Amino acid sequence: MKPAARTTKKPSPVAGKDEAIDYKNLELLAKCLSSQGQIVSRRRTGLNSQRQRELKNAMKRARHMALLPFVA
Amino acid sequence: MTNTYEGMFLVDNDLVRADWAGTKSMVTGLLEKHGGTVRSARRWDERALAYPIRGRRRGTYILTYSELPGDSIEALKRDLEITDGVLRYLILRAEEVPAEELELTAAESSAEFEMPEIPSDDEGYYSPLQNLDEDDMEDDSDDDDDDDDDVSSPPRPRVRRTEELPKSAAPKSSDAPKADAPKADSEEVKS
Repeated sequence: MKPAARTTKKPSPVAGKDEAIDYKNLELLAKCLSSQGQIVSRRRTGLNSQRQRELKNAMKRARHMALLPFVA
Repeated sequence: MTNTYEGMFLVDNDLVRADWAGTKSMVTGLLEKHGGTVRSARRWDERALAYPIRGRRRGTYILTYSELPGDSIEALKRDLEITDGVLRYLILRAEEVPAEELELTAAESSAEFEMPEIPSDDEGYYSPLQNLDEDDMEDDSDDDDDDDDDVSSPPRPRVRRTEELPKSAAPKSSDAPKADAPKADSEEVKS
């Protein structure tokens, strides 16, 4: 028997917003950080690949400047 | 050929405590030394660092926008590396100087600006969001999972489930190698 499909999806914290993804925008970046300090996957952020790449770059810049942790 | 560059500099709080204007001019002076014209430079924030750098747990961030010749960036970076007061720097191309940066810089260089007092190095703990306005803090306070009387957030029993997702996803990833294994076998058969 097929396992029941996952019906509920947690709403994305960032998708659908025009807000610029920038390393200084910590309010947005903090939402895309797992409890361990990892960058949250596209599946969870709901971003397209371009925006997810912007997010990745912004995260890495913020980590370099000690604005975000490498490991929480 | 000059471009507009955004420069963020993390500087030592000891220097800022001793002489804020001098610290700022140390950074802008470096930009000017390499042929740049500084359009805006201001104190972006003073905060606890996500991890200690050279024994410091707090630092002051200076955000600058300047016009620099593209071939001077390498030399500028080399200079920043050997400058003791600069703990970290980040230089990025920018399309233009944001208008609000010019305003904030003007506000800071006016006589009324008072440098906020810097807490001691071990004060405060790191969190991604620091130095928020009190209004923002109120907004965040109701953002937790408990049964507060805030009407706006519906009951969210599923939130915990999604937190566990990585664990349930783990078996799937272990399946992947198995799927690969037959392929490897068939290749061996071919050869």
